[in-house]
Amino acid sequence: MLVAQKAKLREILNALSEEYQVAVPVQREGTSAFELYRDGIEVMFNGNTSISPKGMFFPQTEKMYGFKTVKNTTEFVSLPVEQGKRLLFGVRSCDMKSLDCLDQVFLTKGYIDEFYKQKRERTVIVALGCNEPGETCFCASLGLDPQKAAGADVHAYDLGEVIGFEAVTEAGQKVLDLLKNHLREQQFALPPVGEFYLKPEVAGVPEKLKGMFESPLWEEIARKCLNCGACTYVCPTCHCFDISQDVRGEKGIKYRCWDSCMFGEYTQMAGGHNPRPTKKERVRNRFMHKLNYFPERYNMLLCTGCGRCLDVCPVKMDITSIIQQIKEAK
Amino acid sequence: MEDLTLVLRRTAKEILEKGEAQMVIGWEKGAFWYSSTSAFISKPEDTERLIWDEYCVNNLAKYLLDYRHKEGKVAVFVKGCDSRALNVLLQDKQLKREKILIIGLACPGMKDEVEARKLGRGSSIPLYKKCRECRYPNALNYDFFIGEDKVIKEIPAQDDFSEVQALESLSPDEKYNKFVANYERCLRCYACRNICPACNCRECIFDRTASGWSSKANNVSENMFFALTRALHVAGRCVGCGECERACPVNIPIMLLNKKIIQDINALFGEYEAGTDVTAKLPLGGFEFTDPEEFM
Repeated sequence: MLVAQKAKLREILNALSEEYQVAVPVQREGTSAFELYRDGIEVMFNGNTSISPKGMFFPQTEKMYGFKTVKNTTEFVSLPVEQGKRLLFGVRSCDMKSLDCLDQVFLTKGYIDEFYKQKRERTVIVALGCNEPGETCFCASLGLDPQKAAGADVHAYDLGEVIGFEAVTEAGQKVLDLLKNHLREQQFALPPVGEFYLKPEVAGVPEKLKGMFESPLWEEIARKCLNCGACTYVCPTCHCFDISQDVRGEKGIKYRCWDSCMFGEYTQMAGGHNPRPTKKERVRNRFMHKLNYFPERYNMLLCTGCGRCLDVCPVKMDITSIIQQIKEAK
Repeated sequence: MEDLTLVLRRTAKEILEKGEAQMVIGWEKGAFWYSSTSAFISKPEDTERLIWDEYCVNNLAKYLLDYRHKEGKVAVFVKGCDSRALNVLLQDKQLKREKILIIGLACPGMKDEVEARKLGRGSSIPLYKKCRECRYPNALNYDFFIGEDKVIKEIPAQDDFSEVQALESLSPDEKYNKFVANYERCLRCYACRNICPACNCRECIFDRTASGWSSKANNVSENMFFALTRALHVAGRCVGCGECERACPVNIPIMLLNKKIIQDINALFGEYEAGTDVTAKLPLGGFEFTDPEEFM
């Protein structure tokens, strides 16, 4: 395995910055997220970021196009698109899996989302293996390998004093070639992965949910939910958006921004009817989408076991306990 | 507190068996030793799930709004902060007192679960800052009280506005930069609003984006518009339960703004502690001819 001293990470990231726009996990003001790398910034190694890297591919607010009134017609104005290669360092297995989910939505079934595609294609990903799961983590129960993130270009391993690197794709090999002066070959065994505290058993749940749309369980589960959007906004797989516009005089911008199925306005129709009028319908939709609708359409869960929703929910809605309650429901 | 858990369960069971309420809202254990969460019990046998421990931080008062149009009564357990929140809901005429059965508790202050996760089981876990500063740990308004009605927490002599004053001493630019740094990370998930007992509008302006008043775009300007509107809207009704700040997934010091407004209301309209007296007139809910009007 190719390795480098952790203390040399700064040199490595500086070298990569010459070729790529690099983003790394950073802790700031009691929260953490992926940020553009600047020389000297401290990379977060302990655990995953509070905010997932999905915004790197699907920003919370994204301008789509401009328009302006010219005499009696409207003209479209294309907006500048950021170009250039990017590199994400330190993406965990759960968040790599979430990119697989987002790829399904934005790149398959005959519909290509150009905004997403453009960012995805110009990004190389160096995943970082997890040795010690966080308390709210449960990726292993969903079949993920916490140390080797499927879909990454390079696997990086936290080996204490050193970081190990293995190229997986051609793009990943290019990254390691750039670093050849910084890396040396050395034998290292991966440390064993620590014990997971949460172990939901999800087998059979998507199938069982098919007949549970009218189950009284949803009303019970929904009672404590506040219908805020915290879970959906920190979720690496939630991908709903709304299109809106900002009009100033003769000119305007169309943009899209994250939306949440927890919000009442999400399903509000123009005539005033709301097909999901209460918490029950909204909470049901969220879990049905994650555990039934998405698996039916794309053959994978829309949950990667990152545990962020458990972590941020002010009232401790817990998807692992909900999976258990679905299993136990008559 | 373990002993009180048993009393709590027995009380809830009796209430449901006698049909004094259709449902009891209390707390139950969550996934971790440091998490307790709201519980909604309507069968006497389910009262075994109820607990009362030092992690029952979740303010339960707001949940009563979900049941205000339902038949029958709802029973709710309240700590000091829940009790003040409930009083505000009554003052706002959002709830009918006769439809609620209030069971009061004396709160020792709740432990900070973020610290608990960091420090681990068995270590000494500090109280939430809001609980250390709390001056009304015991329920104020109740039908009956569980446990001995006594002070089980050290009570500060007065509200601590030192952080507000530190902020006030900054230059306008420094203040602005601080607010930008805080609110540029706002996700606009509205957890602060949805958990806040003073945020009880039937319809919130931020749920009416089609109106054009506010936009769903996430940027500092829109985020501050939300934060400042909300802060001014709960002015005089914020009970200082700090649930907004606890609910925030990106750790924004929301209470700083609320406390600044509490301090200003005290200075402008006389000392007022929201939710401590259910018969009190709201400081911003009316006017006196003696009110200051420096801006006129």
